[in-house]
Amino acid sequence: MELLIALTLGLLFGVGVHQMLRRNVIRSAIGLVLVGNAVNLFLIHCGAYRGIVPPYTTIEGQSSDPLPQALVLTAIVIGMGGFSFVLAVLYVFALRDRTGDMANVSQLKH
Amino acid sequence: MPETSVNPHLALLPIVLPLAAAAVGLLLLRHRPRAMALLALAAMAGGVWASWSLVSAVNAEGAPVVLHVGGWRAPFGINLVADHLGAMMALMCQSVLLAGVLYARGCRDTCVRFPVFYPLLLTLAAGLTGAMLTGDLFNFFVFAELVVISGTVLTACSDHRGGVEAAYKYFYIALVAAMALLLANGCLYAEYGTLNMADLAARIADRPDAPLAGVALGLLLVSLGIKCAAVPFHFWQPDFHTTSPTAVSAMLSSVVVKLGVYGLIRVSMLLFPHADSVSPLLVGAGVAGVAVGGLGAVGTHDLKRMLAYSTLAQIGFMLVAVGWKSGPAIAAALVFAINHALVKAAMLMLAGAVASRAPVKSASFEVVAGVGRALPGAGVLFLLGGMALAGLPPMNGFVSKLGVFRAGVDQAAWLALGALAVGSLCTFVYVARSFQRVWWESPEAAVHAKPYGDSLAAPLLLITASLALGVAPQPLLSFASDTAAWLADPAVYIDASLKGTP
Repeated sequence: MELLIALTLGLLFGVGVHQMLRRNVIRSAIGLVLVGNAVNLFLIHCGAYRGIVPPYTTIEGQSSDPLPQALVLTAIVIGMGGFSFVLAVLYVFALRDRTGDMANVSQLKH
Repeated sequence: MPETSVNPHLALLPIVLPLAAAAVGLLLLRHRPRAMALLALAAMAGGVWASWSLVSAVNAEGAPVVLHVGGWRAPFGINLVADHLGAMMALMCQSVLLAGVLYARGCRDTCVRFPVFYPLLLTLAAGLTGAMLTGDLFNFFVFAELVVISGTVLTACSDHRGGVEAAYKYFYIALVAAMALLLANGCLYAEYGTLNMADLAARIADRPDAPLAGVALGLLLVSLGIKCAAVPFHFWQPDFHTTSPTAVSAMLSSVVVKLGVYGLIRVSMLLFPHADSVSPLLVGAGVAGVAVGGLGAVGTHDLKRMLAYSTLAQIGFMLVAVGWKSGPAIAAALVFAINHALVKAAMLMLAGAVASRAPVKSASFEVVAGVGRALPGAGVLFLLGGMALAGLPPMNGFVSKLGVFRAGVDQAAWLALGALAVGSLCTFVYVARSFQRVWWESPEAAVHAKPYGDSLAAPLLLITASLALGVAPQPLLSFASDTAAWLADPAVYIDASLKGTP
């Protein structure tokens, strides 16, 4: 279980960071969402000390820590607010500039 | 906590007042902008009063006001710890934001008439104060996000056409900072099993070499560095602080960046006091900030942008002082932070007031050159503010720069001191140049300054305050050195904040 979660985390971070570094604004926004979810997964995993206890079930004699789950709930809500703002801004770019390329959006270049 | 005579709920008041006013305003006063502005003003005045009483309570008792929210004792519940540092920073934020609301009331931007404007300004105040008073690292993240989201939306609704783009740029980088902070939270929780700052500090001191501690420290430094626009992470800052509405950019450039400075002080003094790698990093980032900010400010063609770059340099001064870590250096950093907040807010407001009277609404030097001739009062204020930025007596900037340089001489950090001296020279250059272009120069074509524009009441108040702090700095200086003495020993904070815990 621990190895699986570690690999998933690595994959999510890797794909997310790769997409964040793209020039296309929509791709970079998707990268941000992926990294955000990787962080949340990491936080949930912090609560399962033994590694064999999935944070959402209880095995006889072992239990997982509920605090990271509460933290993740908060982080998800905040993240959702943030990502919806990002989508709204992408909509403005799409309407106003008719482009998804970061280099063409820039009006603040001097 | 029977021995404190102060009601601990006082620590909640500066957070709750603006937050409640924001909710009430958004629900009931959406279509009454005047009533909304008055409500915001009243809430901020109440917040200033509450944080002032916090500061005087802390000063009188010599111990923090600790509130265990909901009756749950720390480290199991979340506590608010208004210690010397937190209360002082909260008072600074609330006072500057009061001036910001006052400016927004007298300003002619379209965006201040949006129903969300004042509520967002109030949530900005609540978030800043909350982040500075909380004793819990995750709670710090939540309040910091409140600040980020309020600031971003306020900038996105700016009159400036580039507002959306600058807001996106900032929001993207701020989300990265938030993720770094969240990851640091996760690392610390996995390693030490707590997120209460006092408890965490005690456990880190017990076992400083835990494998994830270094990772967490690095992530915290990155995230707080982004928040205060320390130099490798500064690229969003000039755009963001230039395009936001004046009332907001005055807040962003003065108090919002201080959130990062506050966090760095907490990290280096409380959580990781033993980590030797932090000091050189902070000093290096600070010196780089002074260089980049000073040169950038000299090279710009826009009054507001110049002041935004100047913030980079001034934050650099604070980071260098925080990096030195000695008592006088920390005290100097705090005095510098407060003085800079007052002066920078006033300067940006003056820049906005001049831009609002220009034929085209812009702070670009080509547009505003000569506009100041119709506004001699603003010129006097700008000159005084510029003297404070450059560090000339009798303004408060002199006191703060003197403090930083004296701390540097104590440390015998001659290289950094030389860089700071050159940075100060840059300040003289750009302040003098901007004053000359806007107030002295007679433009080639006749300038038709508009007869009306943003009110000068708020910058007048702020400049008066900074003049007062320059003439009579003793109360601030002694409180700052008390704060530095209080921060020097993490054990005192830990005891006070976990007092009464089984």
